[in-house]
Amino acid sequence: MTPLLEIQDLTVRFGGLTAVDRVSFRVDAGEICALIGPNGAGKTTLFNAITGNAPMESGRVLFQGAEIQHLPAHDIAARGARRTFQNGGLFGHLTALENVLAGLHIEVKSSFLGLLFAGGAAKAEAAATKKARELLRLMELETIEDHPASELSGGQQRMVEIVRALATDPPLLLLDEPAVGLAPQMRERLGQIIRGLASERRIGVLLIEHAIELVMSISDRVIVLNYGRKVADGTPAEVRADKNVLEAYLGHA
Amino acid sequence: MKGAPSTAPSAAAQLNARRAPSRRAFWLIPALLLPLPLWLDPYQQYVANLVLMYVPVGIGFNVVVGNLGLLAFSNVAFFGIGAYTSGVLMLKLGLPWWATIVPAGMMGGLAGCLASVPALRGVRLFYLAIMTLAFGELMRWVYIRWEPVTGGSMGMAVPAPSLLGWSLDSESHKFYAFLALVIVVIIATDRLLRSRFGRAFLAIKSNEEAAAAMGIPTDRYIVLGFAWGGFVVGIGGAMYAALVGHLTPTSFDLTELILQFAIIMLGGLGSLTGSVLGTIIVTALPELFRDLPGFEELAFGVMIVLVILFLPRGLASLLARAHPIFRDRYYRE
Repeated sequence: MTPLLEIQDLTVRFGGLTAVDRVSFRVDAGEICALIGPNGAGKTTLFNAITGNAPMESGRVLFQGAEIQHLPAHDIAARGARRTFQNGGLFGHLTALENVLAGLHIEVKSSFLGLLFAGGAAKAEAAATKKARELLRLMELETIEDHPASELSGGQQRMVEIVRALATDPPLLLLDEPAVGLAPQMRERLGQIIRGLASERRIGVLLIEHAIELVMSISDRVIVLNYGRKVADGTPAEVRADKNVLEAYLGHA
Repeated sequence: MKGAPSTAPSAAAQLNARRAPSRRAFWLIPALLLPLPLWLDPYQQYVANLVLMYVPVGIGFNVVVGNLGLLAFSNVAFFGIGAYTSGVLMLKLGLPWWATIVPAGMMGGLAGCLASVPALRGVRLFYLAIMTLAFGELMRWVYIRWEPVTGGSMGMAVPAPSLLGWSLDSESHKFYAFLALVIVVIIATDRLLRSRFGRAFLAIKSNEEAAAAMGIPTDRYIVLGFAWGGFVVGIGGAMYAALVGHLTPTSFDLTELILQFAIIMLGGLGSLTGSVLGTIIVTALPELFRDLPGFEELAFGVMIVLVILFLPRGLASLLARAHPIFRDRYYRE
């Protein structure tokens, strides 16, 4: 079976620094794969290379069997690899609802000329708005749908960003530290939501997260990066027992 | 939007009503404007036409700076290119004025595509401002040097405008032609900004990387925003040619650019209502002080300071607070 996402020997260099060094792994549909490692290990850079936000030096990225490493970020997103951002990627000028509508951009079919000559895009907009409302309601965010994103709490922003990333029912979701700044009970709920996405909707999830308990409790597989290299890859239990991992986090004993 | 969130149906309905008030009442405005020329003397009619002429100029500028969020000062280039296109087509090819409107817009739009190139290469903020400013100055050099076509620094006398065989020989005739054009420009731009295109513009303004992650081809939208801005401003240029009848390079200099920038700053960046409002204030108000030499600049300066201090989101925010019908879809006061 073709894996949902397959990374082969991916290398990213910034000047003399090798931020990601020949990393290979795969993520299957319905699988939660966590990417952990100390700060500066290259996790976000790896994300950016996969989603077309950072130029890669060499290697291949296959999404649903097709090479995507040469594609621009918007094409990769349109194909169904959606992501969230470490520092919050919501559009501050837009409300929560409008953010989700922006997430539905490729589904709102309205052409430029049709817009000007055929009476606006009311129909396409109405259908998308209905869907966006429904999505927010599922996450119990309907009460904040008209709030500007910049005025939402950190936790609400994270949740809206996830809803937005999921709006088009993408097969792959890349989450960059979704639990940062969340209260413990919110963290638990986030874990349940991510778990549900994988097991019920068969979404493949690639997750960067420092909240190690969350990672160990929901992940099917954990990949450990250190200095841009993959130092471990296995089930949470295997990774926990791996001495390379201890070294990565604590240094040489 | 601000009130306590509630899920009660009546409150939700109210929220909906607040979100999208019927805007049919807007048609009252042009209807009320129809008899305006009857009350005004020819000079006041000229001022009214000047206001109408600047509406597309402000709207196009605001799409690029306010909605797309790119600090591009190429507006006066689009304006001049539109004006000269209209003038040259009338003078050299003998086209009637009305037939030059769309070509003027097209040339402005083409100039918009050209002006978007630095932005596509990743140039932003002050660097983009100065590069696009250079475009306007470069065009001024073209108007001066391309003498056989533009008439050089002496300028070019434009034939009297006509509309489908009707001669627009009086200010009041021009008024109706301009009003119709302005309505079309406003409706078209409003549709654009209310659609996923307008939403994509603001997404790019907020966070380009995240916009691309929504599947929005950001480069294409940046070109589109510039092209639409240039198109609309080019139409304004054609109106300018019809209004003043004589084009000189000095009409498209830095002072002109500052005036146009004041329109969108005072009106409200990213607000279509603001573009219209800013135009009225910036072009009509100085004319009130015409008989008091020196006060024109003073009034203008004081007004800018007051608006920046007390209405940082522009005059549009004042109107939006007065009634939700004036609220732009994606513009928050």
